[in-house]
Amino acid sequence: MHALDWVIVAVYLVYVLVDGVRRSKGTREIEGYFLANRSLPWWAVGLSVMATQLSAITLIGTTGQGATDGLRFVQFYFGLPLAMVILGVTLVPFLHGARVFTAYEYLERRFDARTRSLTSFLFLVARGMSCGTIIAAPAVVFSAIFGWGLLWSVALMGVPTVIYTMIGGVQAVTWVDVKQMGLIVFAVIAVIVTLFVQLPVAPDHALALAGATGRLRAFDFSLDLTNDFTFWSGLIGGTFLMLSYFGTDQSQVQRYITAKSVDQARSSLLMSAYWKIPLQALILLMGVLVFVFFVFQRPPLLFNPAQEQAVRAAEPAKYGGLDERYRTALHERETAAHAVAVEASAASLEAFRAREADVGALRTEALGLARRVTGTTAQDVNYVMPYFVLHFLPVGLIGIFVAAVLAAAMSSIAAELNSLATVTVIDFYRRWVRPEAPDAHYLLVSKAATGFWGLFACVVAMFAATLGSLIVVVNRFGSFFYGSILGVFLLAMIPRARATGAFFGLIAGMAAVGVVNFGAPSVSWLWHNVIGAVTVVAVGMVLSGRANVEVGTRNAEQK
Amino acid sequence: MSDTPAPDHASRLFRRTLLRVIAMQVATLLLLWLLQIRYTR
Repeated sequence: MHALDWVIVAVYLVYVLVDGVRRSKGTREIEGYFLANRSLPWWAVGLSVMATQLSAITLIGTTGQGATDGLRFVQFYFGLPLAMVILGVTLVPFLHGARVFTAYEYLERRFDARTRSLTSFLFLVARGMSCGTIIAAPAVVFSAIFGWGLLWSVALMGVPTVIYTMIGGVQAVTWVDVKQMGLIVFAVIAVIVTLFVQLPVAPDHALALAGATGRLRAFDFSLDLTNDFTFWSGLIGGTFLMLSYFGTDQSQVQRYITAKSVDQARSSLLMSAYWKIPLQALILLMGVLVFVFFVFQRPPLLFNPAQEQAVRAAEPAKYGGLDERYRTALHERETAAHAVAVEASAASLEAFRAREADVGALRTEALGLARRVTGTTAQDVNYVMPYFVLHFLPVGLIGIFVAAVLAAAMSSIAAELNSLATVTVIDFYRRWVRPEAPDAHYLLVSKAATGFWGLFACVVAMFAATLGSLIVVVNRFGSFFYGSILGVFLLAMIPRARATGAFFGLIAGMAAVGVVNFGAPSVSWLWHNVIGAVTVVAVGMVLSGRANVEVGTRNAEQK
Repeated sequence: MSDTPAPDHASRLFRRTLLRVIAMQVATLLLLWLLQIRYTR
């Protein structure tokens, strides 16, 4: 990277740190530290919700997904706007009106302490682990492309985020998120414009090439439960996942309960609904255009430089031969692409498709070789975008994009640390250890809790990075809880539901997801959220019905 | 003076934002659909 790019990254890091710490002024009470005294405007909360959900992996991994797989991933978000509208008229008024610090605090008021504690414990376990993977995923990529030790990459993202979150609390998290979101959107638009300018063919031909390989197929209406991304899994499974994520996950709930009023909280969620699908489609389109760009600029056989080095050292002859065949295939694909640019006929598109299949087959062969040599999962989808950024973007824009990736990572980490600290202090420390203490004491404990979770996340990140499959495990692990936790909150809104039903319903929901996960592993994990939520509500209502009958019998006997 | 908006104003803001959300989603999905049918052959 050019010195100017490093300066841009350094300026960004210093600015974020100073701005975040500056926000700590006036934070003397726990309500100010965790909820900004419920004084934040809806647009700032909305941008913060969006920034929290958009992690570094969205910028690195989703673009890579767009380059290799096309737009179909966008279906994953089809349920989001619907979920936001449902939450806006159901859960948000409940939680904002209840004047709670955490979503789980409300569960004790509605049911009992054990349901609150179990739900908040599940949140701490799932979020604590996922916070580590949010740091690990971009840290691994940074280490590979810059040749740094993993510790330095983790520290680059973790240390400034922990400092400003610890000192500034939710005010710092939200206002820094607003600026980070602005930077991310600017970087995405700048890269898309640059891509269109740098492509040697007209935009119409570029899209024709992408379309010929199926990369512009955004809709798949098949009813295949084993397919991760279809219109129906996105709309139904996605709605449940988003309802659970935005309605019951403290890292999201804490954003909108800081709004000035219920209507402002609802508007902030709708703002996120407004932008989410267009923004994700843009990010995926950026990946699709990177694919077209690499049709005319020869990409490497393996995008992960560390992996390529290892394979080249272990199997020089085999890799050399494969690389030579790859170069020939790339040349033939480029020639076919130019023919499409001259005349986009069915024959020229078919020829391009066939050459693209040759290139794809050689890449699969190389990845298989890398898997055998390194002994790890050799998917290099996360390295496609970094390779493009570092080799083909103009000086200055590289720095802006790297800063945007850091911003995306830091905004998610900060929100998670803040919410983990809130749940630790409010749902455990203040509930079970020190129920009565001055605000200054809780403020101190809250800062210590933020620091602890920051350290915990960094340690998890180091392990998650070395055990590649752990990231998959953690994601599947998280999907055990989301639907079930949503089910408990749905029960909370049903007047006849009782505490026993909620507690055992929650356990039954997780068990049901476990049975499906291990018994029918081919069922897409998006459906786990539906299964969990439905089981909790069904079991919860049956048990609540029995509890109601028992209470009724007791009352009759007493009379 | 409080800077919290009046309830009527806030409700109007919510309804207006809701309409915009629906319009934006319909427009985006339509655009993606057109992109798919125009270029996927």
